Amino acid sequence: MARLRYADAISSALREEMLADDRVFIAGEEVGQYLGTLGVTSGFLKEFGPMRVVDTPISEVGILGLGIGSAMAGLRPVCEMMRMDFAMVAYDQVINHAAKIRYMFGGQFKVPMVIRGPSGVGRQLSAQHSQSLEVLFAHVPGLKVVVPATPADMKGLLKTAMRDDNPVIVMEALRLYFEKPDVLDAILPGLSEVPDDPDFTVPFGQANVLRVGTDVTLIGYSTMTIQCLKAANILAQEGISAEVVDLRTLLPLDMATPIASIKKTHRAVVVQEQWGLYGCAAEISAQIAERAFHDLDAPVQRVTGAFVPMPYARNLENISFPSEHDIVIAAKRTLGR
Amino acid sequence: MAKKPTLDLTKYVRFYEQMVYIREFEELIGKEWNNAAAHGMGGYMHLYSGEEAIAVGLIGGMDLSAGDCFIGHYRDHGYALAAGSDPGEVMAEICGKATGCSKGKGGSMHICDAARGFYGGYGIVGGNVPIALGLGWALKYRNQKNVCACFFGDGSMNQGAFHETLNMAQLYKVPVIFALENNGYAMGTSIERSHANQNLRSRVDSFAMRSVTINGQDIFEVHEQMSQIIQEMKEDPHPVFVEFKTYRYHGHGAADTPVTQSTYRTRDEVARAKEEKDPIKFAQAKLIDAGVLTNEMIADIQARAYASAEAAMKFSDESPYPDPSELIKDVYA
Repeated sequence: MARLRYADAISSALREEMLADDRVFIAGEEVGQYLGTLGVTSGFLKEFGPMRVVDTPISEVGILGLGIGSAMAGLRPVCEMMRMDFAMVAYDQVINHAAKIRYMFGGQFKVPMVIRGPSGVGRQLSAQHSQSLEVLFAHVPGLKVVVPATPADMKGLLKTAMRDDNPVIVMEALRLYFEKPDVLDAILPGLSEVPDDPDFTVPFGQANVLRVGTDVTLIGYSTMTIQCLKAANILAQEGISAEVVDLRTLLPLDMATPIASIKKTHRAVVVQEQWGLYGCAAEISAQIAERAFHDLDAPVQRVTGAFVPMPYARNLENISFPSEHDIVIAAKRTLGR
Repeated sequence: MAKKPTLDLTKYVRFYEQMVYIREFEELIGKEWNNAAAHGMGGYMHLYSGEEAIAVGLIGGMDLSAGDCFIGHYRDHGYALAAGSDPGEVMAEICGKATGCSKGKGGSMHICDAARGFYGGYGIVGGNVPIALGLGWALKYRNQKNVCACFFGDGSMNQGAFHETLNMAQLYKVPVIFALENNGYAMGTSIERSHANQNLRSRVDSFAMRSVTINGQDIFEVHEQMSQIIQEMKEDPHPVFVEFKTYRYHGHGAADTPVTQSTYRTRDEVARAKEEKDPIKFAQAKLIDAGVLTNEMIADIQARAYASAEAAMKFSDESPYPDPSELIKDVYA
């Protein structure tokens, strides 16, 4: 086991898969000579050369077209979006093309590509660089959407994404990128640990119970899983035993794991970093209502971000997304406390 | 001085035949549109009549069995037929049948043939152009001596995707032929009303990309020039922008009726184009002059082409619709 930062896990997954499969190449803005805007591809250009580490112009449509076409032709591109917000520039390539090609050509082609990049709130980057837009992808058949919360899942899910035969969107939590292993392990012992085995992968569609509890189920993904773990620690001090379920992937979505947990705890809080309206937490809550209504002792609670574009001011940014205390309040509400 | 190479005229008789086959195929669809629902046809229906020499001459200059490939837009029936796809499977796709090349899930706009290097027709104007960059990149990545052709229309050139792609294609020297089929209209909007600079070829000069203008109604010019260019691209990988001047006989799609067409072009204009610029008549006259095509052969080719289109329609009509279980298949690989 190595204790890694989230960003190191990304680097490690990319490098291992590039070494293992010469069809894999990376394309994106500043991925090569600049060593990566966040450093995850540092040294890659030197190690793999310019055909496999492709510096591109600031042309997201071109980058994704490069990925889709070369994937159809049998390569395994990893397209980096400097920020996942920028994928919106090329939304047409993702939604109207990558997601549709398999189906609309009756299965004649596959599109084994990864679209990855940092997502979400956390560095005072304000309205156009802080969004968590996973719901816009998770709504679309033909895509897979990965939302890792831990370094191990970051590595294992990214490797699975790179081996998958479909377009996979990997939403990497910017807020977690450089979180120190010590900080993570203080939240939950072993949280920063990543297996050394180069064949370690994490399958899609399998949610993970990160903390076992009996009174209430906290369901999160990406940064909100970490918030749920922090909330569980606070709740434990007050004698409330919270179970934390990390969804890991939104598409495919594993509801069996959270529902099994709810059958035990009879209470659920669903947490999502950004806008709640029509969001992932709404979908998960609806599925709980459909499939476990009679197991519930209290209405499902959602905890979501403020319905506003992300503000710049640090104090405003800090109250724009769910804190562990918001989750604690919601959990207590399900318990009538 | 080197002697100009003589044309392989038997090849052009074959190209002539292919153009007639495509024309008859499209015209049969146009005719049967009155009875569309009975055949299973719906949606839009973009016919290629008038533009046949481009697909036949360009695709005929590629070596599909050796790895050359191409990608198209929604006016795509002719590409498949030019590549040798089974007309029955193409017709069945147009009619939404289980035997269609895309299992009836794509329809007229999404014909494809992976085995022949046809990466499909796409319905978003300009959306296929970035994908061609990737197809070309894969050829370069593997050091293949191949080319990829990307067909698009004049409307595509006003999409941002086009400009991002051409810049990157030239930057990376990918072997892609950007084949502009300039038929003068983006749906119902003429070049004059949509391009600030109506010299479309000059718009790509800013990318420092090699470019050429070809009369898309002249199969000889299309094929001879493209064959030469393709050979040069295989020796030294680079992109080329080709403006084919052409004309479409039918409306943009089936919804573009004579009434809606009257908002942007006259019946006279269409009639004149059919009279003066028809690629089939043009080839016919030249091949008769050269003594390799006779009136008898023309009648025979015409009859076989019509029979082929009819047979394709019969094959489609006799084919089942997709099983309901197909609804949820092929979403993921």
